Amino acid sequence: MNITRRDFTFGTLVAAACTATGCQRSGSGRDTIAVLFDGLYSPFWVAGHDAIVDSLKARGFDVAEAMSAQDDEKQLSQVKTMLAKGVKGIIMVHTDSKAVHQAIREANRMGVPMVHFNRAPAESDYPSVAIQADNRRITNEAVQSMVDVAKERGGKYKAAVLIGKLGDQNAIARRDGFLDVVDQHKEMIEVVSRIPTDWNEDVAFKGLTNALSAHPDINFIFTSSDFLFPQIMQAMKSADKWYPIGDKRHVIFGGFDGDRTAYELIETKFLDADGVQELQLEAKLCVQAVVDLISGVLDLSQFDKFPHVIPDPGFAIHQGNVNDVRERMWGYQLWKQDQTESLAAKS
Amino acid sequence: MKRLKHLLLSEYLICFVCVGYFAVMALVLGSPWVSRYNLENLLAALLPLLVLAIGQMFVMITAGIDLSVTAVIAFASVVGASLMSQEIGLLAGSSYGFPVALAAMLLVGTSIGALNGFAVAFARMPPFVVTLSTLTFFAGLATWYSAWFVDRYSPNDEQSSSIGDLPDAFTAIWDDWTLPIVATVAIASYLLLSKSVLGHWLYAVGTNPKASRVSGLPVRSTILSAYLICGLCAAIASILYTSQLATGYAELAATKSLDVIGATVIGGTSLFGGKGKVQWVLFGVVFLVLIDSSLSMLSLPSNVVEICKGAVILVAAVLDATRNRIRLTQAL
Repeated sequence: MNITRRDFTFGTLVAAACTATGCQRSGSGRDTIAVLFDGLYSPFWVAGHDAIVDSLKARGFDVAEAMSAQDDEKQLSQVKTMLAKGVKGIIMVHTDSKAVHQAIREANRMGVPMVHFNRAPAESDYPSVAIQADNRRITNEAVQSMVDVAKERGGKYKAAVLIGKLGDQNAIARRDGFLDVVDQHKEMIEVVSRIPTDWNEDVAFKGLTNALSAHPDINFIFTSSDFLFPQIMQAMKSADKWYPIGDKRHVIFGGFDGDRTAYELIETKFLDADGVQELQLEAKLCVQAVVDLISGVLDLSQFDKFPHVIPDPGFAIHQGNVNDVRERMWGYQLWKQDQTESLAAKS
Repeated sequence: MKRLKHLLLSEYLICFVCVGYFAVMALVLGSPWVSRYNLENLLAALLPLLVLAIGQMFVMITAGIDLSVTAVIAFASVVGASLMSQEIGLLAGSSYGFPVALAAMLLVGTSIGALNGFAVAFARMPPFVVTLSTLTFFAGLATWYSAWFVDRYSPNDEQSSSIGDLPDAFTAIWDDWTLPIVATVAIASYLLLSKSVLGHWLYAVGTNPKASRVSGLPVRSTILSAYLICGLCAAIASILYTSQLATGYAELAATKSLDVIGATVIGGTSLFGGKGKVQWVLFGVVFLVLIDSSLSMLSLPSNVVEICKGAVILVAAVLDATRNRIRLTQAL
């Protein structure tokens, strides 16, 4: 096609005028915080995201959001876009703890503080703050509760563990937390299946189904995340292994996160123990950290190694302590809220 | 109507759309969009994608498709990092570590490209099936290799299965050499397509493989060379991405497939073969990067961003079919 010189000149002038007009525009005046997650692929992340965004808005911030679909290169690009947008702070969930270093470096270069929600980066020279649960210790506690149940019941156990994405340090810590405890009871528990899930429901379902076919005598199952419960329940039902506590055929069952399904399963006596991250606390600490970093209350120069980790102690919930600790379980809070709303709707 | 038809047939259509889109976004987003920092970010986002899309263009010109490029990036990344990592690399401390790792990454790319090309050209397997299989295989292999390597050589690393601590000389590639490398790839590809015999063969084979065979062209080796070039481009992109993140990572660029194929098609490279130019690919990549970055800056949810990108690629594919039909009608 032939574009005439007049067409070209006219188009260029219009584009230049638009661009120049854009240069004159200014922002809304309120400070903006970027909230960058790598995905909302489980109730934990959805609830965490909502808690952070609500808290930031309540404190008078504008929120700019983006999801990276577990692609760190894409997330680095999103960090740069947010920095170009002029955000005052960044709260992020990265995927890989080493690949995130360049994003922190870029934020440091632009003088914008970065806080990591739930996953800490690997140690580096780039200053940032992370809010993180002690995954290994919480898993130790949850699995120890399962082992106590096994000891009480007696007999030998064949165990399966569903492992998360191996690029995720939380997944690795939970795997190791599980192995720490069962390895101390080798005479009683034999781990016959380690099922990689890649944090994917389909992969987890197929993996557990295959494991239950290959080892029909599996009677001890731990999942590294509660969001896989529906698939695990389905696989266990198909293998005729879904029975409540008290039934001889009950499989000792544990998980990690503390979501709403976990509470329901504990309440209905299908789940023996669950490691709980105190999500509301983590979200609160996260927002407070970014506010403190912006205002200068928190000074990174006082720390000698990075990331500076603010811990979420977490805890294990099990049949023996459910009534004592459930108020701290975020899944219970969601469950209670739904119950209240449904009662209100009925009345 | 005539002007609209002319515009539709223009090879610079996407270029005009890019300029218009940039201007509209400048109005909507204001000064952050036109800031120097953002322009540098846009350039940084488009350069490695351009290399990938140029490689894909070679394959598409032969009426094929290569879905395995993201697996090439991931596998080359972890192989290279496992050789040159200063902490746990197999060649850590050796002055040969960096160049050997680069060579290994390029070798991985060309080898997988050769495997794809051989299966398509000589075993007559459908490109979609072949490259989907290699995508699955090498993505899985990258994950396994990375986890195995870190477990074996850094058993105390409880933080991740990625491989970090890459040499400064390697990470400097991203800051200092990206533009020259991408420019070299683009110019070499332009010359290869427009000035060399292989370029003419690629277009001929893509337009009509039977006629090419009858005419005595080496159809099989031409197709093989297209996949080889695509694998090489993916390896170069892997070097750039790995250098950018300073980490060898089995999930690296895992979500890039849609962007690569989309950018190639949006620019005007035909899915039916026989048509494609480096400058078209550049327009397609620029447009996709503009959309991605602007929608992120608008803080639209990621699913909306993906819907927009998918819609644009669909429109581009429809446009491709429409242009072909118009040209056919004009020829008759």
